[in-house]
Amino acid sequence: MKIFMMLGWRNIWRNKRRSLVVISSIGVGIFAMMFSMGFMNGMNMQMVENTISTSLGHIAIHEKGFQDNMKLEYSFIPDGEIISAVKGNSRVKAFTERIKVQGMVRSSEASRGVMIVGIDPETERTVSKIYDYTLKQDGSRYLSGRGDEGILISKTMADRLDLVVGDRLVIMVQDLNNEIVGAGLAVTGLYESPVDSFDKYVVFAGIEKIREITGLGKNISEINVLLKDKDDVAPVKTEFAGAMGGKNLEILTWKEMAPYLVRAVQLFDMIMFIFFTIVFITVIFSVANTLIMAIMERFHEIGVMKSIGTRPSRIFFMIIFESMNLGLVGLAGGVASGLLVIALLSWTGIDFSFWMESMKMFGTGSVIYPVIRVTDITMAVVIVLFTTLIAALYPAVKAARIKPLEALHFI
Amino acid sequence: MNIIDIQNLTKVYNTNGVPVQALNGIDLSAEQGEFSAIAGPSGSGKTTLLNIIGGLDQPTHGSVRVVDTELGGLSARDLSDMRLQKIGFIFQAYNLIPVLTAVENVEYILLLQGAGKEERRSRAEEMLREVGLGRELNRRPAELSGGQQQRIAVARAIVSEPDLVLADEPTANLDQKTGASLLDLMRELNHEKQITFIFSTHDPMVMERADRLIHLTDGKISADEHKGERSGSAGQ
Repeated sequence: MKIFMMLGWRNIWRNKRRSLVVISSIGVGIFAMMFSMGFMNGMNMQMVENTISTSLGHIAIHEKGFQDNMKLEYSFIPDGEIISAVKGNSRVKAFTERIKVQGMVRSSEASRGVMIVGIDPETERTVSKIYDYTLKQDGSRYLSGRGDEGILISKTMADRLDLVVGDRLVIMVQDLNNEIVGAGLAVTGLYESPVDSFDKYVVFAGIEKIREITGLGKNISEINVLLKDKDDVAPVKTEFAGAMGGKNLEILTWKEMAPYLVRAVQLFDMIMFIFFTIVFITVIFSVANTLIMAIMERFHEIGVMKSIGTRPSRIFFMIIFESMNLGLVGLAGGVASGLLVIALLSWTGIDFSFWMESMKMFGTGSVIYPVIRVTDITMAVVIVLFTTLIAALYPAVKAARIKPLEALHFI
Repeated sequence: MNIIDIQNLTKVYNTNGVPVQALNGIDLSAEQGEFSAIAGPSGSGKTTLLNIIGGLDQPTHGSVRVVDTELGGLSARDLSDMRLQKIGFIFQAYNLIPVLTAVENVEYILLLQGAGKEERRSRAEEMLREVGLGRELNRRPAELSGGQQQRIAVARAIVSEPDLVLADEPTANLDQKTGASLLDLMRELNHEKQITFIFSTHDPMVMERADRLIHLTDGKISADEHKGERSGSAGQ
């Protein structure tokens, strides 16, 4: 079989220009595939990471029913049993307690519906990135403690409510007795996250201050947990469920809390799949066309090979190897250039700040850092080998079936 | 021992719906070690006869036995193996594999037969030295003259020491001197290795040197002469 591999290799260089065109088309296809994969991976990862780091965490523990109806009545007391189950789990990196209540904020200019999140500023910064997102200039600062009298709002919301740091606004919520209660709070800081929907909807205040306004006592809405490894959510959820089995709690992973995110990633994957299918169908026809031309040119020669005793199966494999060689050279070029460009861009990032509004809508941030995984490269190799194999089948069968006598008469 | 045994061979081609009789009732046998030529004008059927003996074409009627094997009914793969193991081919247009060097072209047959790497390399080199191309081992066909290419083709045909070599107008593309030297070479190999050579030709030099001359006219054997006799009857 070695000689047929060698023949396959030498044959592709008999018409250098034609082979190089095909190799280039495979190389460009692979490069486009790797680049788009890298870009989409980066975008998906940043979208997921940003959503996790702004609000979701990896796992949240709520009173049963809270996820569907975020009202104060769905709250619970974080007793020792719950806290020790979370604290004692070796896969947990950090956790924090939150009160979440839907309400309204009003300035002298406008009002908006919001999610008011009462936080412990110290533990919150170990779980979410809200501290990092808080602007640290022009008087803007993070919340100073559980009982901070101020409120942290996004820059977007400050613009819409026409507020600056130090201005007062009024928050209004429905308390446990279904009465509307309100309080005036000073804007202590502004934040800016990469997630547009988050900036438009979420404000932060000290957890004790929210308890005071709502009369919630020692209750909280959720314990939000950050794990050391995002992929451990399923086993940790099971462990939590085992430890807190007797309680009326719901333990949700980030995928369960944000199914839209999972669907978005699936949608992007599907778009990529369609894109790759189109690219590789083009490659299949390009390779098949080249091989058919090469076989027609060598019709006589293949006839001679068969005349002197080469079995049809060996002619078949010679054409398959020829196609594989074209694919492998294109693959090497495509993977090498793809890796180089992705390595460079994963370092510099691709700046989309000119398109910031749209990027914020996706929650990715304005700079995308492409990421390529070993599985992506493996997939590229498998796809190319499979594609070139498929492309070679018809020409190879055609070559194997050449009748030696007909071919000998064909010059 | 007969290396070829043909009885009542008929070949009819269907060209655009019109039947054309290429061979008509051929009876022919050839013994091992013969150095024979099939001669005749264009269209007399000599190449068709050679193709049928080589298993490249099928007869319409009749029986063809080559090296104790009845060719009728063999599959494409079996015919291929038969050609590989028993028959060597020399073509008018040399027909070497252009991407292989001289020694690789000769080795190719041994490789198909499953010979080991060292054995096939040494046999191919020895064969090329024998045909006078010991210094051209690693050159590709395009870098060699027509005579040199035909010598490689001869080396390829006989390297595996087949029982029979079929040569279709082997000197047609060569000048007289080169053709004569090639014929001397084949004659020498015929004597040395007892390989049967059958030529199709209309080159008087080939006819002159053949031990036996079979004349074909309109698909029939019109004369079958042995050297010295240069007379005889059609068929055997």
